[in-house]
Amino acid sequence: MPPSADVVLSATGIARRFAYRLVLANVDLTLRRGDVLLLVGPNGAGKTTLLRVLAGLLSPSAGQVERPGAIGMVGHEAMLYPALSARENLRFFARLHGVDGRGRVDTLLGQVGLSHRADDRVGTFSRGMLQRVAIARALLHEPGLLLFDEPLSGLDATASRTLVGLLQDFRDRGTAMIIVSHEMERLGKVATHMVRLAAGRLGELESLAGRDPVAVFADLMRGDL
Amino acid sequence: MTLRDSAARLGRIGAGITVLAFLGLAAVYVRALVYTPVEANQGAAQKIFYVHVPAAWSALIAISVTGLLSILYLWLKDRRIDLAAAASAEVGVAFATIMLTTGPIWGKPIWGTWWTWDARLTSTLFLFLLFVGYLVLRGVLVDPTVRANLSAVIGVLGMILVPFIHLTVYMFRTLHPAPIVLKPSAPSLPGVMLVTLMSSLGVFTLLYIGFMMQRYALGLLREAREEEMANAS
Amino acid sequence: MGALLRGAWAIAVKDIAIEWRTKTAFASGLVFAVLVLAVLFFSRDPTAVSSQDIAPGALWVTFTFAAMLGLNRAFLLEREMHGLDGILLTPVPRSAIFWGKFAANLVFVGTIEAISVPLFVLFYDVPIWLRFPEVVLVIAMATIAFVAVGTLLSAMVVRTRYAELMLPLLLLPFLVPPLVGGVQLTARLLEGRPLSDLGGWLKLIGAFDIAFVTLSALLFQVVLEE
Repeated sequence: MPPSADVVLSATGIARRFAYRLVLANVDLTLRRGDVLLLVGPNGAGKTTLLRVLAGLLSPSAGQVERPGAIGMVGHEAMLYPALSARENLRFFARLHGVDGRGRVDTLLGQVGLSHRADDRVGTFSRGMLQRVAIARALLHEPGLLLFDEPLSGLDATASRTLVGLLQDFRDRGTAMIIVSHEMERLGKVATHMVRLAAGRLGELESLAGRDPVAVFADLMRGDL
Repeated sequence: MTLRDSAARLGRIGAGITVLAFLGLAAVYVRALVYTPVEANQGAAQKIFYVHVPAAWSALIAISVTGLLSILYLWLKDRRIDLAAAASAEVGVAFATIMLTTGPIWGKPIWGTWWTWDARLTSTLFLFLLFVGYLVLRGVLVDPTVRANLSAVIGVLGMILVPFIHLTVYMFRTLHPAPIVLKPSAPSLPGVMLVTLMSSLGVFTLLYIGFMMQRYALGLLREAREEEMANAS
Repeated sequence: MGALLRGAWAIAVKDIAIEWRTKTAFASGLVFAVLVLAVLFFSRDPTAVSSQDIAPGALWVTFTFAAMLGLNRAFLLEREMHGLDGILLTPVPRSAIFWGKFAANLVFVGTIEAISVPLFVLFYDVPIWLRFPEVVLVIAMATIAFVAVGTLLSAMVVRTRYAELMLPLLLLPFLVPPLVGGVQLTARLLEGRPLSDLGGWLKLIGAFDIAFVTLSALLFQVVLEE
């Protein structure tokens, strides 16, 4: 039994209603340090809702989420202010996290490769660049778990490669991640597990050790294709 | 008993109370028109007073109930409480409308003008607008939990606002008295008129309760059906 | 407490910085204020109504309407890239968002008021400098009232399709006590009445301030929930 000190997230019995419908039903999930979980499923299955509940942006209608460690999130939206520069945005969020701003912000900007655009308004950025600032924002407080909602959508090949590179760095450093995506060719190698969410219910966790992620994905999605 | 059945039963009791109240209303009308003396200065038009004042009274009951239920909802987060608060608001807007329409009807023959910025009329006007805002807000919000939360916020704020508006208008009026001074509900009402007024107040309170119960029951049934329809797909 | 103040300060500064960069709401608010002052001045019979008579009303209508234009700005700027979600992901207390937005709104509305007053004196020929500190006090007290409720309500309506319409609809009844009080106090002060005579209205607005700033701060949490 792996030591519980390694647990970064523990969700039990999560349910969430919206406009009379049950969007999530009885979801249990435990994640440990180093786990990289690919969350797949048909459209409207509740994947974004689940991420938002796990991050704490939504409160579940039932169940509990325990977050022994810090969580960072990179959602569909960048969660930034277009009129401010990348640096200003990051400094603002750093202050809210209680993190000492300058040094950390500059380091992170370097890490995501945006030091040369740090003082440009984020409203002028391409989607790929926005994603990178968003990642920097998510990393400000050194979270043990990162949540990604379709991180590669809207990115061209180069930007995708850069992003996958970043994700691999995180994995190598032992940061746990949950990634909502169907891009198996690009992300399959980063992940350690895969799970399917359909109609608000979470299936069995599939370990990807020694298996072809594309095949596992095809298996899981068989009912939907 | 299912939610449906208890809601239906509540509706039936409410309907019964309403019927009783209407009978009482008829009795009050008879008493007001036939057995209560005609007021010396204002003549027959004054008799609208027996509807006008109790309507305002019911509207005030309505906002208080909505406000208190809103506080209760924020504490207990039971959506049925929100449905009851909304029912009270709908009934309240109806009574406020009655008060605001009987006011000018009374006013025209007596004061020669359709509207005066009399303290009570003005307060009720803003009360009416508060109710309308509350109901419009509910209309544009789709998710029932968000709708309940935000309605409750307006409900609480509105209830606290009402005494402030009343005070504001009162202070304004004492500085700017009406061109014709009027004493619509001076406590120095002769006994017979007072009894008619009190009976009317009682009947209107009963009307409020009856309407409120029916509207609440309807709200419960509607919610049950929405839930059924949403989960059928 | 420290986190609350730090968070509120950071949010207020951020809001003001963003508005300073774009200046759109500020410019519209200002143009609107000038328009209202001018239109109200011209839409009277100058032989029957002196400018001094309608001056207090004109000033306060200007303030409240220009304020309403600006209040929606506070939460609208969060929508474009969902910045508010970013704030909610940090440990900053939720009430800091209210206090930060409230403070930024006060700066916004206060600036428009500060620019409107000289224009008002110019157009309406009103000797405001004779009672300047008292007038400023009255303006401050009433502004706090409607900005507090306006901040809460704008957070509520920003998610609806008709935010620009819903805010005035919901806010206007709450403007009555501070607006009427503001007009009455301004008029009396300009007539030369001492502040001690005006206790009634001052207490009304003061009580309103305390009640509604507290309520708005407390209820803000509820409005943020999804």
